[in-house]
Amino acid sequence: MVFSSLIFLYAFLPAVLLVYFLAPGRVKNTVLLLSSLVFYAWSELRYLPLILCTIATGYGAGLAIGRFRRHGKVILVLEAVLCLGSLGLFKYANLLLEALGGVFRLELPLWRLALPLGISFYTFQILSYAVDVYRDTVEPQKNPIDFGVYVVFFPQLIAGPIVRYQELAPQLKSRRSTLDGAYEGAVRFLTGLGKKVLLANPLGAICSAYGESTAPTVLFSWLSALAFTLQIYFDFSGYSDMAVGLGRIFGFQLPENFRHPYMSSSVTAFWRRWHITLGAWFRDYVYIPMGGNRVSKARWIRNILVVWCLTGLWHGAGWNFLLWGLFFALLLLGEKLWYGSFLERHRVFAHGYVLLALVLSFVMFQGPTVEQALSNLKAMFFLGELPLWNRESLYYLRGSLVLLLLGIMGATPLPSRVYRRLEPVLSWVQPVGLVLLLLVCTAYLVDGSFNPFLYFRF
Amino acid sequence: MKKKLVTLVLLGLLLLSGGLGMLTGHRELSLGERRKLAQWPKLTGAALLSGSFTSSADKAAADQFPFREFFRRGKALYVTYVLGQPDNNGIYVTDDSAAKLDYPLSQSSLRHAIDRIQNIVDNYLSGTQVRCYYSVIPDKNYFLGNSLGYPVMDYDRLLDELSRSLSMTYLDLFETLSPEDYYRTDPHWRQECLEPVASSLARGMGLPFSSAFETVTLGRFSGAYAGQSALPLEPDSLCYLENETLRGCTAYDPVSGDPVPIYDPDKLDSRDPYDLFLGGALPLVVLENPNGPAGRELVLFRDSFGSSLAPLLAASYSKITLVDLRYMDSSLLGDYVTFSHQDVLFLYSTLLLNSSQSLR
Repeated sequence: MVFSSLIFLYAFLPAVLLVYFLAPGRVKNTVLLLSSLVFYAWSELRYLPLILCTIATGYGAGLAIGRFRRHGKVILVLEAVLCLGSLGLFKYANLLLEALGGVFRLELPLWRLALPLGISFYTFQILSYAVDVYRDTVEPQKNPIDFGVYVVFFPQLIAGPIVRYQELAPQLKSRRSTLDGAYEGAVRFLTGLGKKVLLANPLGAICSAYGESTAPTVLFSWLSALAFTLQIYFDFSGYSDMAVGLGRIFGFQLPENFRHPYMSSSVTAFWRRWHITLGAWFRDYVYIPMGGNRVSKARWIRNILVVWCLTGLWHGAGWNFLLWGLFFALLLLGEKLWYGSFLERHRVFAHGYVLLALVLSFVMFQGPTVEQALSNLKAMFFLGELPLWNRESLYYLRGSLVLLLLGIMGATPLPSRVYRRLEPVLSWVQPVGLVLLLLVCTAYLVDGSFNPFLYFRF
Repeated sequence: MKKKLVTLVLLGLLLLSGGLGMLTGHRELSLGERRKLAQWPKLTGAALLSGSFTSSADKAAADQFPFREFFRRGKALYVTYVLGQPDNNGIYVTDDSAAKLDYPLSQSSLRHAIDRIQNIVDNYLSGTQVRCYYSVIPDKNYFLGNSLGYPVMDYDRLLDELSRSLSMTYLDLFETLSPEDYYRTDPHWRQECLEPVASSLARGMGLPFSSAFETVTLGRFSGAYAGQSALPLEPDSLCYLENETLRGCTAYDPVSGDPVPIYDPDKLDSRDPYDLFLGGALPLVVLENPNGPAGRELVLFRDSFGSSLAPLLAASYSKITLVDLRYMDSSLLGDYVTFSHQDVLFLYSTLLLNSSQSLR
């Protein structure tokens, strides 16, 4: 089940909201846990036992670390092995088998297991909980229901934001749903739904058309690259908006995950604004424990490379993702060691450099293989012996101009600034706007079938 | 505060009512889209475990959503007039006429169609006295897409491939047809505009052609593209051509033995009004003209376009056998047709040739 589906919007969500708000306070977390498990099971019934076991081991590990402090490290390592082992088996086994096969020139049989939904997200949440308990920054959660909600809370279960236990723990114990909170949550949710359905999905259709084209051109390759750069932003930030909005309705404050990342004037700044919770996770649980930047230069460079390799691979089990991560590592190192101050003095150039780097990086990200990504990059720079344009590419360019313009404007703070300036007037039409937004999104969902979440399979 | 409460209540009511309407929907058919609507699946353990229940439920949710046509129309209007996109679901509209983007040319599909035709030639026509012809009906995109600069299939390559692969006489229709000869809201051609086409084919096959027809107007209908595009399009007029010859003709289905009306006006209110012509989608139809030239017969291998053309050729033959290989296996043809000295015409639209998987 995805947020942008009719079943979620018109069946699951109204039912859960009804039961949740009618339930007495002490039962509300149970309602959230059961509804989250139903949400998960709708798409992945066969992996429901896996996520239940993961919850159980995480819960048990937290209690054990808290109870047996002397053996805390061993328990933490065991839990990490379990979590990362599960993630590794489902997500990276085939990549490893292919690599080994390549090195030893063997045809090794590959796993035929589908990736469990959200495994990258909930694994990191459980790991961070176990580490925080070990570090004694949080008390172990004794209530299995509350712990279960922390792991599988459906607003953020399958595509984040990655929530730290210490952020959610007090809210699990005590929170208030208010009318203002519910309204803000509804506004946020519908904004995210609009980003996903009205922007990300149509932009994705352009990328699909390019992928299926039998006569690609330089123009079409750039159009697809630009469309994907916008699609991935609206897809992912839209989902995060929906997650934060839903959380708000239930009385939770979930962390922000995006802050107008395409306005950044350096790649360093970009990664403080894009998938903020993932960056913070790697910083707190990998980079800093490795020494961060408080080590020799050589070790610091190693730390950056390791973190960015892992960041790339977290996004996908493919060499193109590894290269994508390494690409950012090189840019970050370049900014810190070489041209960072130049970027600070030349803002316009800096913005252009960041946007170009992002467009090219997302071509690599899109893959699906390194060869295909390189082929697309070559096409963009006239190295693929493709014509500059043809009828098909002009057709798609003409048909997507308004969409691209809306996307580019929507990726800036401009809409929110305009709204804040005109708020006294617009606040009166906001309710009408919200209803219209829901209806237009519904129209798209009723008519269409193209609705994948890019970060869905992480 | 009151405004926020009212908004939340309104949104909640919309979600609840939409959900109730969706979950209790049992609509079976979409007349606009000419298809059966997905039904809510039965909840079984096996279906849940395999994932088929949830995927079927997702499809049913879209198909059973209340006011579905209203929402589809809303999306079409938003895409067309807000986003300025030229097509919705692959259908574009120009000068109030709808056409479908159909490109690029599928080599595998064309090859498959050629193989099916050659199979008929090899298994039934070689060694006989039949006279073989083929003709291709251009789809509307040939005219409209080309004039707008939209991507179109490579028609030259299609015709070239057919010419190199088929050893039979080609009867060209590309110069005979124009956009006005097609329904505005449907892919098919209008029978009342087909006299030049019938004349051209008859001439190509060495036959006289008489064009004394009366036009009978049945009523208005919205074709397949109207439903697919979901845009408000002016309906077409559904007409058919009648004359004394046709009134004396009979048609029947040789498989079932049942009579088939040459024109069935009741089809105007059916799922596909184009079924008006010769019973619509049937594997075999025989049209007999007792006053036609004795011994002169035509076997017409066709798609749906052939249904409206065949009556116009009735005067030139004593018997026309229409064969639709989409609905019958070519291996069964010999049970119903004996080839000896007929005219054999393979008449297919570019739409079918570019998506010929259904030819058996």
